[in-house]
Amino acid sequence: MSRHEVLISGFGGQGVAVTGRALGSAAVSAGLRATMLLSHGTETRGGYVRSQVVISDESIDSPVVENPDIFCALSQAAYTRFIHLVSQGVVFYDPETATPGPASGARLVAVPAREIALESAGNERAANSVMLGAVLRRLNLFPVKYGMQALRGLLPRHAESNIRAVRAGYLRYME
Amino acid sequence: MRTFFDTGNAAIVEAAVLSGCGVFSGYPITPATEIAENMSRRLPLAGGFYIQAEDETAALHICIGGALGGLKTMTATSGPGYVLYADPYGWAISGEVPLVIVNAQRVGPVSGITGAPGQGEFYLSRYPTHGGNFETVVLAPNSVQEAFTMTMEAFNLAERFRTPVTILADQLVTDGYESFTVPENEEELRALGLEVIPRRAHPGPDFYPACDALDVPPVVLGLGLGAACSDWTPTAEGYDTEDTAEQMRHARRLIYKILAHRDLVDRSELHALEDDPDVVLVSYGSPSRVVLGAVKEARRQDLSAGCIRLKSLWPFQDELFRRKAEYFVVELNVEGQLVREVERASRRPAHFMGLCGELPSSAELVRAIRRILRGEALPPATDEREIR
Amino acid sequence: MDHLAEKYLRPRKIPSSACSGCGLGQVHKKILLAVEQSGIGTADLVWGTGIGCSGRQTFNTWKGDNFAGTHGRVYAMAVGLRVALPEEKKILLTVGDGDAFGIGLSHLLHCARRNVGVTVIVADNFGYQSTGGQYGYTTPHGFVTDSSPYGTDEPGWLQGGVDILDILKSAGATFLARHSSFEGQKAVDSVKKALDNKGFSLVHFIYPCVTHFGAVGLKSTDNGEIVRWFEKLFSTEGKSGSGPHFSSGITHDAAGSRPEFAAALKARTRKIREEPHVQA
Repeated sequence: MSRHEVLISGFGGQGVAVTGRALGSAAVSAGLRATMLLSHGTETRGGYVRSQVVISDESIDSPVVENPDIFCALSQAAYTRFIHLVSQGVVFYDPETATPGPASGARLVAVPAREIALESAGNERAANSVMLGAVLRRLNLFPVKYGMQALRGLLPRHAESNIRAVRAGYLRYME
Repeated sequence: MRTFFDTGNAAIVEAAVLSGCGVFSGYPITPATEIAENMSRRLPLAGGFYIQAEDETAALHICIGGALGGLKTMTATSGPGYVLYADPYGWAISGEVPLVIVNAQRVGPVSGITGAPGQGEFYLSRYPTHGGNFETVVLAPNSVQEAFTMTMEAFNLAERFRTPVTILADQLVTDGYESFTVPENEEELRALGLEVIPRRAHPGPDFYPACDALDVPPVVLGLGLGAACSDWTPTAEGYDTEDTAEQMRHARRLIYKILAHRDLVDRSELHALEDDPDVVLVSYGSPSRVVLGAVKEARRQDLSAGCIRLKSLWPFQDELFRRKAEYFVVELNVEGQLVREVERASRRPAHFMGLCGELPSSAELVRAIRRILRGEALPPATDEREIR
Repeated sequence: MDHLAEKYLRPRKIPSSACSGCGLGQVHKKILLAVEQSGIGTADLVWGTGIGCSGRQTFNTWKGDNFAGTHGRVYAMAVGLRVALPEEKKILLTVGDGDAFGIGLSHLLHCARRNVGVTVIVADNFGYQSTGGQYGYTTPHGFVTDSSPYGTDEPGWLQGGVDILDILKSAGATFLARHSSFEGQKAVDSVKKALDNKGFSLVHFIYPCVTHFGAVGLKSTDNGEIVRWFEKLFSTEGKSGSGPHFSSGITHDAAGSRPEFAAALKARTRKIREEPHVQA
C-alpha cells in the first residue's frame, strides 16, 4: 500500500481537527500508520485551521501533505489557499461555502455537507462528519466502522448524530 | 502494548509518568501547554505533583527543589520560557541535579508565531546558562514514538550523569499526531529496549566524585546526613570555596563526566550512506522526516544522496562528519545554526536550506540536491522567490 | 554562642567571615537559640540560603543539610523541596533584603500565597553590602550609598505608609514578625513561633552594617555610634524623631488559619487516587 495524503482545511470551530484526528485514529485502529499535523492560524475560534493527514501501512517519512489524494475544503479561503497543491486528487467542497475556481488536474466533487448533516444528523455542525464519511469511502482503505468508533471516542456526547452524518456522507459518495 | 493516535505532548507525558516523575512544574506556553495540562491530569493519579509556577524561572527552580528532596522532576516549555531557565539551568548543571527539560521549539525570535515550528535553540541548548565550564546533554526526537522513548531515556541519562537533560523537540513533534505504542508492563518495556533507573540518594556529605565517575547518586536533602549543595564552587564536602584549583576540578568533572561516556548519549540515524553518496543531507527533528523522504525520492531518481539525522545534538558528534561529501543542512531557521557546527566538524563549507515556521517540501529538497550535484550553489536566503 | 556552635554549627565555618561589628552573627545566634529551645535536632531541619551577606555567611554553617539558591529564587526551590520532604522536616531560609524584597519578591509573594511551610529569616542591612554598599529596597529614602551619591531617589518598602510585611500579610503569609538584631529572648520567641507555624513564616531582622551603610550612609567609622543609630530605630526615643522608626514584635499571627501548601497537595493527591470518580 502506498502513501495516502488527506488535507482538511477550514475555519476554527468547523471540526477540522476532530475530523483529522478521527481519520488518523481510525487508520491506527485498522492497523495502519498515521500522522497528522495541525496548524492554527490563531489560537482562538474563527481562525484558519489546517489538518494534514498521512496514512500508510509503512512507517511514514514526511508528515507533510504535498500532493493530497483528497482535499476537503471547508471554506472558500481554504479552497483558494491550498487548491494549487492538488494535481490529481479529489477535492470535496460544500457548494454552500466554497465556489470552485481554476483547478488543473483536480477532480472537483460537490458534497453538500451542511445540508446532508441537517438531514441525517439533525445538526449542521456535523457537516465535518459528512465529509469524513466521504473521505473514508474515497480512501477505501478500511471498514467505515473504525471511523465511527473513533468519533465515539472523540465526541462522546455527540457520537450518535455524528455517526449518522458519517454514514450519510459515506453513502452519498457511493452514488 | 497499547497503541494511541495522539500528540508528542501526550507521549512525553506518558513516558514521564512511566519513568516515575514525582514533580512537574511548568508555566503555560504554546506549544508546550498540553504537556502541563496532561501532567496536571495524569501525575496525581500516579502519586506525583503538578505545580504551576509563577514563571519559568520558578518552574525550573521548583523542579530543582523537588529533585533535591529526592524526586524525579520535569518541566516543559518553548523558546521564550527556555531562555528564562538560564538561571536555574546553571544551578542544576553545577549542583549536579538530575532532571528533564522539554523544549517544544517554535519560530522566533522572541514570541514569534506561537503555533509554528522553529529550531532556534540549537546553540542555546548547548549554552543554556552563563559561565561556561560545562557540557549539556540534548536529545532531539522526530516522531511521537521517539518523543516517548527519548523522554524515558532522558530521565535515565539525567540519573546516570547527574545533570539536566534537554529534549529539544519542535512544535510539529509535540503538537503533531501520530500512532505510538506504550508498554503496559515490565516485559513490554524491556522489549522496547527501555528501563527505569530509580532515583537514589548520595549516602553522605562528602559527595564530590572523581572526574569521570558515572552513576553517582545525587545529593538528596532531608536525610540529615549533612549534605550540602549550592551554586558556589564546591569543595569535596560541598563547602563554598574560592580556590581556583577546586574550580578547575569542578569544571573538569562537569565536562568529562559526560565526554568520557559519550557512547551513552550519542544517537544518530544514517540512511543511504553505504555507497558514499556525493550529497549528504543533515538535519534533526521534524525536518529530518522530510529529508528522509526526499533522499528516498532522490535515490529513485538515481541521484547520489544520503542523509544523517542527529538524534542527540550535544555533545556534538563530530566524527559523523568525516566524509568527503557535499553536506546539505536543512533547518527550521533562516540563519543556520546546525550548519555552522557541521562546517566546523567537517572542516568544509556546507550547503544550507532554512525555513521559518514550516517544513520544506521533499520536492524542493530534491531540486536542491540536483543543483548541488550539478555543482551549483543554492540560492541565497535573500532571494525569497527562488528559494521556494 | 559556644555551646550552640558546638551543637549546631560546622567547626570549619567558625569564626564566620562577617566584618567586625556586623550584626549578622546576632541574628544567626537568635535562630540557633530558637532551634535549640524548640528541641529541633540537626536532622530535623534543612537550611537554605540566598545570595548576599546573609546567604553567603550562613551557607553550610548548619551541621544538618544545607542548600544555597540562586539570587532571589530560593523561595521557588523551597516549594519543590517542601513537596518532596516529609511534613515533619522543617525548612529554614536565611536571606537578605535584596534577595527577598528585590530580585526574589515575586517568588517570595507566591510562596506566601501558597502558604508553603517554610521559615524565612530576612537579615536586612539596608542595601547591597556584599557588593560594596549599593542602595536596596529598605534603604531609607535620601540616604547616600555607593550607588546613590546624592541620596536615593526612591522610597523603600519601609516608609511613607508602606510596609513590606503588610504586603506579605495580604499575600497570605501566616506568621510575620520584625525585630532588631539587638533584641534578646523576645526575638528568639518570634523565631520559635515562626518555626512552629506549619505554613509560611517570615521574621524580618534589621541589623547594622558598619562597613558600608554605616561608613557611607551614616558617615561614621565608630561602630558604637552606628549601633546606637540602629538601636534608635526601634526605641521610643527614635519614635519622636524624624527618621525611620519600627515597632518590634509579631505583626501577624494566623498560624493554622490556612492549609499548608504541600500538605494540602498531598491530601488532594491521595483523594484523587482513592476516588476514581473524581478523575478527570
